[in-house]
Amino acid sequence: MIENRLTKQILNILLGNGADFSEIFIQKRASNNIRLEDSKIENSSSGYELGCGLRLWVGDSTFYAYVDSLEESKLLDAAKILSSAINGAGSLKVLDLTEAKSPYVTVVKKLPDSVQADAKKDTLELIDRSARDFNPAIIQVTSTLSDTEEETYVANSYGSFSSEKIVKVFLAVNVVARRGKDIRTGYKSLARSSGYEAFDFKNPVDLALEASKIAVNMLDAVGAPAGEFPVVIGPAFGGVIFHEACGHGLEADAVLKNASVFRDKIGKKIASEIVTAIDDSTLKYRWGSYKFDGEGFPSNRTVLIKDGILQNYIYDLRTSKKLGAKQTGNGRRQSFRDVPFPRMSNTFIDSGNEDPDSIIGSVSKGIYAKEFAGGQVDPATGDFVFGISEGYIIENGKISFPIKDTTIIGNGPEALKRIEAVGNNLDFAPGFCGKNDQLVSNEVGQPTIKVEKITVGGIKD
Amino acid sequence: MQDNKKMQDKKTYEIRGSQLIDICRDAALKINKHKVDEFEIFTASSVENEIEIFKGKVETLSFSDSIGVGIRIFKDRSIGYAYTTVLEEKSIEECIRKAVSNCKITSREDYNYLPGEEDSILKKKLIDDRSLFHEDFLDYTIESKVELAKKLEVLTRSRDTRIVDIDSVGYHDSIYETAILNSAGFCDKYKTTTCLIYVSAISKQEGDTSTGDFFGCAREPAGLDLEEIAQKAADRSVSVLGGEKIKSQRADLLLDPVVSAQLLGVVAGCLTADSVQKRKSLFEGKVGQKIFSIGVNIFDDGTIPDGLSSRPFDGEGIIKGKTRVFEDGYLRTYLYNTYTARKDKTRSTGNAVRASYRSTPEVGISNFYMEPSDIGFEKLLSDVDRGFYVIDVIGLHSGVNPISGQMSMGAKGIWIENGSFKQPVREVTIGTDILSFCRSIRKIGNDLKFIPASGYIGSPSILVSDIMISGK
Repeated sequence: MIENRLTKQILNILLGNGADFSEIFIQKRASNNIRLEDSKIENSSSGYELGCGLRLWVGDSTFYAYVDSLEESKLLDAAKILSSAINGAGSLKVLDLTEAKSPYVTVVKKLPDSVQADAKKDTLELIDRSARDFNPAIIQVTSTLSDTEEETYVANSYGSFSSEKIVKVFLAVNVVARRGKDIRTGYKSLARSSGYEAFDFKNPVDLALEASKIAVNMLDAVGAPAGEFPVVIGPAFGGVIFHEACGHGLEADAVLKNASVFRDKIGKKIASEIVTAIDDSTLKYRWGSYKFDGEGFPSNRTVLIKDGILQNYIYDLRTSKKLGAKQTGNGRRQSFRDVPFPRMSNTFIDSGNEDPDSIIGSVSKGIYAKEFAGGQVDPATGDFVFGISEGYIIENGKISFPIKDTTIIGNGPEALKRIEAVGNNLDFAPGFCGKNDQLVSNEVGQPTIKVEKITVGGIKD
Repeated sequence: MQDNKKMQDKKTYEIRGSQLIDICRDAALKINKHKVDEFEIFTASSVENEIEIFKGKVETLSFSDSIGVGIRIFKDRSIGYAYTTVLEEKSIEECIRKAVSNCKITSREDYNYLPGEEDSILKKKLIDDRSLFHEDFLDYTIESKVELAKKLEVLTRSRDTRIVDIDSVGYHDSIYETAILNSAGFCDKYKTTTCLIYVSAISKQEGDTSTGDFFGCAREPAGLDLEEIAQKAADRSVSVLGGEKIKSQRADLLLDPVVSAQLLGVVAGCLTADSVQKRKSLFEGKVGQKIFSIGVNIFDDGTIPDGLSSRPFDGEGIIKGKTRVFEDGYLRTYLYNTYTARKDKTRSTGNAVRASYRSTPEVGISNFYMEPSDIGFEKLLSDVDRGFYVIDVIGLHSGVNPISGQMSMGAKGIWIENGSFKQPVREVTIGTDILSFCRSIRKIGNDLKFIPASGYIGSPSILVSDIMISGK
């Protein structure tokens, strides 16, 4: 995307006034987005963005600027201006650039460009019909299909560069069901770091039916009971509990700022011994996977917790340097406009031994949380919440009534120790994670698990 | 912190002014070579500074200067959209080509045409650049902004000995300029300045940790009250130290403005004509009905000089005024853009909102607020026999379903008995639904506070009766 000569020139301008590190990040991105609602294609839009972010460090300070262009003169000007933010004497210089290697190799089969707009339209209309045919209670279907083709290039003053072509496809289905005054919703998404072969991984019609089934099932929902109960958390999106209760607290920027309950806990038992948790950006075609992170480091599989013992944090380059650790390939950024920091990729609790049905069967009175609307955490205190969008009451080991949307609240370190069972049915679900105003793609995952006791945000005494 | 003087000298801001209109005109000439019925060109640029301080030092200092163009094409009553951040001739041409081609698959609608005179309630602009753009903003050096953030860190830390860390202090500002030109004859621009500062404080006591944050926003740094922000952040952090889960029960809630404004934001989201017409709103068919038990007045007002979402015209060029959404507890109107207004045989309320040049105009709020009363906070508090003062909520985006109306979120605060604060409370949830929440509001305070969300939402403290709290 840029000549080696120019890369070196820019990196050296950035180092010129005494910076300890310099970096250039280039991104080109073309995207298409189609939305169906009210059984009509309401919106079809396309976007094109191109730009370059420049970063340098001196001491503990990071300086960042970007330009919406790749013109040589503009890049050089921006580098000079950014470099003038500091006024020391430069001693470092980049002489050679070596290309970084990554274990992540994928093949894209159906590029977005090769798929006709009419075919995308047909897919959305099929989703609409499938959902509405599923049940007459369904009064609205909103479906969004987007694809992006992206190229990135990162080079830094350590003399390393990397480049990557990224293709992503995202399909979401929102369904509204109504009976009398009761309105319920169902949501499902399919998101892959691949081309339109994503539809071979999961059929869009199945997605529509799954979302519809949730909305219709929830029409019978009763108010959730209030108080502390055993909670069985279903596979795939259930992994949001680990993402919130623990994952964010393991991101090294929180650790560095003394804003994590998991600081100074490496080698210590922080979870029940049946818990092993992993962050893995090398899982092929998954939504949170990549060849290189936003700093040009290869993707990686990082064991975070093994048999309940904390093994590692989630690092970007800066936090790894400051904490004297090895970076884990988790320096991510939303775009060339943003400074990277530690982020999860695909983060999950690994498969255990138990049969999921017998886990549910072991609960005499509790909640089964099947689908989720996301969550949030305060890493400094470990207090977290997550929203259940499809949940059921468990009575005498059997699933009974569905419950209305509710929030569960807990404390990360306490909840991890209360995990009493881990199933053998590991699965994943895609989503977006927001932190410091930057959104990145993630997957969460887990098998069915059981938490001994946690507060369910009920509306019934 | 190194000396930024040199950078500052080179970085004096030049107002883009007519440059954005010129970009629109150039694009318009290019569109005229295509066979289209109508078009609209939206441009927006922003110059931003972002500063983060950690332990008295600059942790991150970033500069950005970005611009983008979004083009809406109308052809045979279908709309296509495309945007680009690259303004070179061939990129603009490609953008136009894509927008034209995107018309091919979108559905035909009789109401798909550009707004004209007849779509607007107002004929004259009620607010302009002079109140939205503060010239003085340009006089602040980066140094002075860094000092501001450093000062906030020191002030917050010094407020209470139990504050052990300031995990984030940030300052963010932007100069925003935008212009719209359409083939129906609209061509106008405006610009704004805004700055935001925030701090988050970690406090510790006997092994318990608590966090609390606060923020301020204004048109220029002089409008930021650092003393107040530091005090509030510190209070919000230490006042919940030692907090414990309480028994599940029903009780009255006294909501801090930061909390009530977030909940009001949920209500606002259900009032867009778009969500009503698509049958996704609990307020469908409720215009003219009494929604609140008490005489609540709620406005969407794009004309407040300090309002961060104030604007002379909306995302499709309709003049923005002040809309009374609830009057004396009755729902008066939904919020409209021109498309949804035509569908309901009414006129736009100037609520076409564009998140950025990346998106088409959707229906959204401007400055949306609940009118305060003259009741002070102390009076509200003294009226609570048994209740929960909610200082902060967590998990609003996952715990509130604006379509089904269910609201369930994590909360922390202080337990109230006989009109005075008792013990701190944490790790509980509060649960209700949107319509019940509106009906349960008993009293409104006088301490109106705005929060920047998607829009600028303002609420005083409010007292809500008989809400389920879930804890032990």
